[in-house]
Amino acid sequence: MTYLFQILNGVGLGMLYFLLAVGLSVIFGLLQFVNFAHGAFYLLGAYLTYDLTQRDFSLWLAMPIAALIVAGVAALTEAVLLRRIYKLPHTFHILVTVGIALVIQEFVIIVWGPVGGSVRTPEILSGIIILGDFIYPIYRLFVIGFTVVLAAILWWALEGTRLGAILRAGSESTETMSLLGYDTLKINTIVFGLGAGLAGLAGALAAPIRGVDPFMGIEALSIAFVVVVIGGMGSYVGALVAGILVGVVQSLMATIWPEGARLMIYVAMGLVIVTMPRGLFGRV
Amino acid sequence: MVINKPPVQFALAVITVLALPLFLSSGILAGEILVFALVVAACNLLLGYTGLLSFGQGIFFGVGSYAAGILLTRTGIPVGVVLPLAAVMGATIATIVGALSIRQSGVYFVMLTLAFAQMFYFLAYTFSGLTGGDNGLLDVPRPTLAGNYLVDPWPYYWFVAVCFLVLFGAMLIVTRSTFGRTLIAVRENAERAAAIGFPVRIFKIVAFAISGAVTAFAGGLHAMLIGVAPLSNIEYHTSEMILIMTIIGGSSSLFASVLGAGFYMLLADALSTIMPRWLLILGLVLITVALFLQKGLWGLVERLWAAITHQRAPAQGDTLPDDLTSGKG
Repeated sequence: MTYLFQILNGVGLGMLYFLLAVGLSVIFGLLQFVNFAHGAFYLLGAYLTYDLTQRDFSLWLAMPIAALIVAGVAALTEAVLLRRIYKLPHTFHILVTVGIALVIQEFVIIVWGPVGGSVRTPEILSGIIILGDFIYPIYRLFVIGFTVVLAAILWWALEGTRLGAILRAGSESTETMSLLGYDTLKINTIVFGLGAGLAGLAGALAAPIRGVDPFMGIEALSIAFVVVVIGGMGSYVGALVAGILVGVVQSLMATIWPEGARLMIYVAMGLVIVTMPRGLFGRV
Repeated sequence: MVINKPPVQFALAVITVLALPLFLSSGILAGEILVFALVVAACNLLLGYTGLLSFGQGIFFGVGSYAAGILLTRTGIPVGVVLPLAAVMGATIATIVGALSIRQSGVYFVMLTLAFAQMFYFLAYTFSGLTGGDNGLLDVPRPTLAGNYLVDPWPYYWFVAVCFLVLFGAMLIVTRSTFGRTLIAVRENAERAAAIGFPVRIFKIVAFAISGAVTAFAGGLHAMLIGVAPLSNIEYHTSEMILIMTIIGGSSSLFASVLGAGFYMLLADALSTIMPRWLLILGLVLITVALFLQKGLWGLVERLWAAITHQRAPAQGDTLPDDLTSGKG
């Protein structure tokens, strides 16, 4: 029973990891751009949710607002700053986005302090479900349900809509897209905002589970990287499978070997790289 | 350009070593600048010469400080053996991390090195019996040499300075050797280098091993300098900081790294006393460097030198090409 609980727990965690990684993956796919500020957008999403709930907003309202603000901030950053550097080597992408991440992290500390805090869940979502000897927090079930629906919508948006077709075509050849008359600059901004907004949403969803602290962004960034490395760059299914895999590994290990739980994520990554250098669903 | 020639670079390193005591009151800060100058030069060996942007340099730095810390606090092995052993540890781990990471290229490579950095951080965190966990290894002694303790910061500074000059000189020789020149060829066009018959993979791994050895040696020096082998030496932040120093300095020569390390350490020292959230400023500095100073501080020096000597743009040929190639493709 403990293991079933931990596996379900891991799936919930894994869906959050998927949300984090899929934004990173989509941004890279379209823009060939490594976003080291991705964790900082997650951090910002979590803190905005924390702030809004402190101001007596309900969590229902706080989460989408937080995600939208993050998306807006990211889109603005892209339009003002990032589009100037796409043509530069990756070194400068990393330098600029690490700079942005530092600015956001220090901004968070200046505004909300270095200590962190916890986020209350609304009445409906707090409490637990008891089915026989199986006990599970309602909020975590909500996270699983919500992210599964969101994952399905995202998949449909990428595979079944015009926007998705544009994105996929754009990741193959930006020149062709602009020749066909699409405003690639605008598309880039939208995609960057969307990807960062997903990270912000993951932060908003994670806040009631783990609380908020100023250094949660770095952890999120490295987990997003691990998920992308395991799943294979640019693969939607890969991000989903790897996200859940990482979540379940972490969650199971938390019962078996608590101190080593997070170590095992990276060991799992090492094993995948040794056996499949391109990740589970890597294309190239 | 003449300022990029190894003898001039070495002379600049000597001047730095002699100048630091004149301008700084803290021997610890001066020592830290030299330690990081080594670490950053070792990072530059990968970035500037091989085109490998490694986010995992903190691994080797941390491993070096742990190795030195463990050997010095638990065994009676003398420093003259401890530091080379730390370097061997660093080279071994760098070989493994390098061999696994270079199976991917470009951005994936960067992500992998960062993920390995996290792996080693959690290794150090998890096995606290060996590493002291959060507290780090305490009471790492400074070395005894010829019966005299180098306990005070300034005498120890001179010990660090000698190590720095020897290793910096060695790295200059490596970059001038056939091996070093081949690394540049690998960076410029890995496919062509492979086609000519160079074992590209092996060369990259050897570059990693050298970089890891120097970084770990410096890690050992650092543990003795501050008297602790802290967990923070192996943290993500250290890897990030080393990379930032490398890029700020520029990657067209090894002394650029000394400049980058010195600039960063002095900026951090000055800003952190007047503003606790100084990393905000650092973030803005990074964005500015990327937008306006793409060859780093050394690029500025090169431009200045060109203006003084009425040369046109930095000459190619005797120097590295100017562009920073960071594992494209």
